[in-house]
Amino acid sequence: MLEMLVAIMGNTLRTATPIVLAAMGGQFTEHAGVMNIGMDGMMLIGAFAAVTASYLFASAAMGVLAAILVGLLVGLLFAIFVVKLRSDEFIIGVALNLFAGGLTVFLLRQLFGVAGAFADPGIVGLPNIELGFIKDIPILGKLISGHSLFVYISWIIVFACWIIVYKTPLGMRMRASGEHPESLRSLGISPESMKIIASLLCGVLCGIAGAHLSLGYLTQFTEGMSASRGFIAFACIIFGRANPPKVFLAALFFGFLDALGLRMQFLGISSDITGMMPYLMTVLMMVWMAVGERYKKKRMLKLNKVK
Amino acid sequence: MTKLKHYFSGQRARYLITLGIAVIAALSLGAVIMLITGHDPISSYGALFGGALGSLRSIGNVGAKAVTLTMTGLAMAVAAQAGMFNVGGEGQLFMGAMASAIVGVWLKGLPAFIVIPCAILAAILAGGAFAYVPARLKTRLGVNEVITTIMLNSVAILFCSFLANGPLKTDESGIAAGTQQLDPVYRFTKLVPLSNVTTSIFIAAAIAFVIWYLMRRSVQGYEMKMTGQNKQFALFMGMPTEKHAEVSMIISGALCGIVGMFEVYGIHGRFIETVSNEFYFDGMLVAMIMRYQPVGIMLMSIFFAILNIGSAAMEARVGVSKELIFIVQSIIIFFMAAEPGITASINKKRVEISARKKIHEKKDRGGECDA
Repeated sequence: MLEMLVAIMGNTLRTATPIVLAAMGGQFTEHAGVMNIGMDGMMLIGAFAAVTASYLFASAAMGVLAAILVGLLVGLLFAIFVVKLRSDEFIIGVALNLFAGGLTVFLLRQLFGVAGAFADPGIVGLPNIELGFIKDIPILGKLISGHSLFVYISWIIVFACWIIVYKTPLGMRMRASGEHPESLRSLGISPESMKIIASLLCGVLCGIAGAHLSLGYLTQFTEGMSASRGFIAFACIIFGRANPPKVFLAALFFGFLDALGLRMQFLGISSDITGMMPYLMTVLMMVWMAVGERYKKKRMLKLNKVK
Repeated sequence: MTKLKHYFSGQRARYLITLGIAVIAALSLGAVIMLITGHDPISSYGALFGGALGSLRSIGNVGAKAVTLTMTGLAMAVAAQAGMFNVGGEGQLFMGAMASAIVGVWLKGLPAFIVIPCAILAAILAGGAFAYVPARLKTRLGVNEVITTIMLNSVAILFCSFLANGPLKTDESGIAAGTQQLDPVYRFTKLVPLSNVTTSIFIAAAIAFVIWYLMRRSVQGYEMKMTGQNKQFALFMGMPTEKHAEVSMIISGALCGIVGMFEVYGIHGRFIETVSNEFYFDGMLVAMIMRYQPVGIMLMSIFFAILNIGSAAMEARVGVSKELIFIVQSIIIFFMAAEPGITASINKKRVEISARKKIHEKKDRGGECDA
């Protein structure tokens, strides 16, 4: 029993990490006042770039670097359209996802001549890290040690994001550009530039999420391998009110559901039913958030009346 | 003639020009990609259009694809007009297909003129109900419908796949997992042998006309449009905005459900897991490019259908993978979405230049510059 729980928890960390990384990118754009539903496509392109570079240079580091650069590029593309050309964020997001799907499959066929999935011993994956002293602690060791590199980096990134958003002038300006752009403009800082920075950061982090997906989580590229994770990340951002630690917890919860679903398959429950869980849960969580908000508002109104 | 001129003047003309530029630019970018990957663009595009329009059979397939795109595009447009972004059409399509397939098997033995309307009704109910949930959540609780509909897509597809692999699995062996075969009497007759175009095209045409009438000529359509464009105004004028938003989503879902029914009764003869291959997203693209104009969606659907059907021939004959078409299509969207921004900046430049000119003219005349 305990062993199973530990295995589920370990899997939770593994499956939550891509969502955490993407969500950390998305919370920047959310704070800056851009609705970014293109994260799924950003991840997919990042995953493809990582696998390609890792295969060509036989180095995982090059793969990650390529994913970051390509992520930056995609973030720039997004920023140009949404901020500079004032296109509809929703349309650009959807178009970006479709573009990513088409581009990666097209390149997969043209560059590697395969359809569906590209797995090759030449792809160098990211290393798994054994944490020296924790490894030997009985349960904790199994739980925390021995994960892919980016599982640990994602924790650092969450902390860094929290610092950036809530403790630095940049973060304050970013939040201001989402909450009250006029006041930011009155200080002589353009909200547009904040939105561009947020989009670039989002592109980079989604690229890293993709790299983790194709080099850490698996060591291959599969068509459409982001599998709506970008959207789940979006739901986590809403659920965690774009506050990095809370978003992290929300992502962990989704990872837990995913891992639980995998376990339940062994018990003979159809994989279709267990696969539905994270998606259904997203909807339920968003409803819960909305109901909570409504309740809060009502209570505030009542309090005001009493005064 | 003057009426025609009037029809194509002003904003509409500007829009058509930018659309033309966008399509040409996207096709030439596609050609550049072909050149980079070592293919001849002219022969590739030749294979594409030849493959789509070369034979009666392929023209039939183009027609069938255009019907799907039109229906899904109109579904997107109806909801978007009322300010609801229905991204969940794919799931609604699956639910409609499944419901109609179940009805077809249940009512086995009854004459076709009873079964087919029942199947359409079932598809409408299933698709509409599945779209009503996120609509209600949006209007009553303010839950972002984009996310809920995307999530419900996966839920619907997995749920249908569960039914097709589990409780409703066909007894026949040696065929792909799915529900039982429908009685051949119920299936739509093919208009062109071996192609996908069936008599469902007439039903689709009637539905398209009704939707056009609803969106462009009816009071409800006008009120829906106001709800989408300016909710405050609509509320102020006493329009039931919440009801309009919900109804538009139900219509949208129902349309998607009917598309699913067409696939089942026209092409596959039963529900299979691959009943749709992201058809709704293609339709969504068309609707976005045409800015939710019903007539435009119908025309653009034909063009996209040609690209879609031709791309398979292009892959077979020249070896360019058919995914190139997705890239071309999304580039068209990028251009169209950026069009207001680009024209605004061009206009700004133009005003700047003319203002500068005026200043110079004034200076030349020796007058004081007060601009």
